[in-house]
Amino acid sequence: MLCLALLGASVAACGHATSPGGAPSAGPVDSRIGYVRMDELVKVHPLYSQLARLDDDMAALQLKAVGSEIARSGADVDKEERALQHELDAAAARTKAALAGKEQDYTRREQAAINAALGAGASATGPGGAQIASAIGATEQTQAQAVQQAAGQNLGAYKNALIAQDQQAVHSLQTSLAQRATRTYRAEADRLQKAEADFALQQANDDASDRLSLRTKLSNLALDDTARADVKSQLDALDRKEADAVGAMRNRDGAVLAALQKRLHDGIAAELNADVVEIHKRTIAKIDERTLETRQQLVGQAGGLGAGLAGTNVPGGVSPDMKAKLVALHQKFQHDFNDDATKMIAQFQKTRTDLLRRFGEISGVDEAAQAGADKEMDSLRKQRGDLYNEMVAQIGREVKTIAEKRGIEVVVSDVVAPAGGVDLTADAEKDIESLHE
Amino acid sequence: MMRMLRNRMTLALAAALAAAALLAPAALAADVNDIGFVDQAALANIPSFVSANRELSGYKAGLDKQFAKQMRGVRDQNTQARIAQEFQNKLAQRQRDLFAPLFERARVAIASVASSKNLSVVVDKRIVIYGGQDVTGSVIDLLNGPGDPIPPVNTPPPSSVGFVDQSQVDAVPKLKTANDDFAKFQADEQQLAQSKMKNAKSDGDRQQILKDYQTALADRQKTEIQPLVDQTRGIISDVAKKKGLLLVIDRANLIYGGTDITSDVTSAFK
Repeated sequence: MLCLALLGASVAACGHATSPGGAPSAGPVDSRIGYVRMDELVKVHPLYSQLARLDDDMAALQLKAVGSEIARSGADVDKEERALQHELDAAAARTKAALAGKEQDYTRREQAAINAALGAGASATGPGGAQIASAIGATEQTQAQAVQQAAGQNLGAYKNALIAQDQQAVHSLQTSLAQRATRTYRAEADRLQKAEADFALQQANDDASDRLSLRTKLSNLALDDTARADVKSQLDALDRKEADAVGAMRNRDGAVLAALQKRLHDGIAAELNADVVEIHKRTIAKIDERTLETRQQLVGQAGGLGAGLAGTNVPGGVSPDMKAKLVALHQKFQHDFNDDATKMIAQFQKTRTDLLRRFGEISGVDEAAQAGADKEMDSLRKQRGDLYNEMVAQIGREVKTIAEKRGIEVVVSDVVAPAGGVDLTADAEKDIESLHE
Repeated sequence: MMRMLRNRMTLALAAALAAAALLAPAALAADVNDIGFVDQAALANIPSFVSANRELSGYKAGLDKQFAKQMRGVRDQNTQARIAQEFQNKLAQRQRDLFAPLFERARVAIASVASSKNLSVVVDKRIVIYGGQDVTGSVIDLLNGPGDPIPPVNTPPPSSVGFVDQSQVDAVPKLKTANDDFAKFQADEQQLAQSKMKNAKSDGDRQQILKDYQTALADRQKTEIQPLVDQTRGIISDVAKKKGLLLVIDRANLIYGGTDITSDVTSAFK
């Protein structure tokens, strides 16, 4: 479309250069068939500026369609998702390492607890109960710090990812609202401009016979100066009347548009503020929830560690009571470890699912923006088609009048090579240009 | 692009064709009353076309849902293009299946009416501004009547209206290369402009980018395309002159009859 508009301009130049005045050079032609170069006539029509503006709007929209203002491309979304995946993979690796450390530590503590239980049973051999408890306490503290550190890192990563998504969501929302407002404003501006153009055209049509009559009088060479001035003054008055009426309409429309712009601006600000508050609230709630979960988990782990002094590798010759005690110790440590690991893995799954969902929401906003752009393009196409048809119909009426006057039987447009027909383009141009006056 | 070429031809050939008129007295004496036209938009409103259109719309709605489902989550551009092409092909095939028999029936009806009215050519109403014989009503009556329209026995009489098939002219190697080069240039410029648009900070910036883009295309068109446009005009002008034609139109606007000068034009390029 853009290309057509562009090339149309050079066509006109080319046509004038080859055929000055728009008509073929003098020579015998078939005076019963005529043709017009519709492209050139459209360019001199009073509504052409509006048509050209629609072409520019469509070209601009086409160029912007993959720009940042409308939507992120698939590649951008992929990039962001890869970054998210990378972050989650890193967090998963940290969790895996923490779990491996925990496993070793649980084993060590379990063995220490077994040794302590056996030592206490055998009395004098091995370290005393206090010594064992002290060693276990130190190990427990180291473990607790490692777990806390890993949990803190994971929580931090989650917070950063959420905040980044929050900002992206706000930006997308802002863009989407601004585009919606622009579309609304433009639709109204287009509607008013079309109404103005229609009104101007209507005025010109209504006064066409008066104007023609006055011009015919002016072309009368026998007219004296006073009469000529009088006719000219009537012609000027006619022009002034039309210009005043159109001007008044434009002023009214300007006021309507200014009010609409203010209303849209206020509406966007209110809607944006409300939505941004809601988005921030949701993000903060998620961060708070995750912080609380992490704390509870750490507290639970600390409690489990403090209570877990037991053993499994039951040596031979121990009493049934001791054996039962050692088995119970092993089961407890095994249970604590499994519980711990399950919680950590579940936490990461939840984080991942949540972040991917947020990405989905953002993509949704993009898709909505893209759909809006498509809709706007369809609307522009329709407006252009309607306007063009209106202009061609008007041109057709002018050409018909000329053909009837000149006794031409058939007139066509869009000819590739006009051979022996009469070129009516120049005559039609003059008549159409007079609609501007 | 060749549609643009065609438009330019129309404009620049005027002077040359005035001379052509001098050399074609036989054609100029032809009867302009043998030019008819049909309103194709009106034909689209007859029940068989309306029904086919409705069926196609239903089929398309179903395809759209399938398309959306299949495209969900696909971000690779090649895969997107492949899927889109598959669905377009399906729709096009359905369109052919539904409309080809209707078009053929309409073609026969138009030929039958044109023959009975001694028309040498029938064109699309859109290009007729004044005069000519409107045969739309007769064609619709024939299509809505019982039974199939009967094809005319005679071929259309020689016509003083010529036509060229633009797609065949476009396929001439010299023009095709120029078209392809220009299309590539346009695509590159568009990509460049789109990338600039992403970084544009104001409406002023965006307008400037659009203006630069348009200027680049116009300049390229002037240097690379315009000479070929002029050459094509000259060739069509010469052929029209030799054949003594009153007008030459695009085949897309022709419905029946006319004098085909496409092969003369393409041969002249060799």
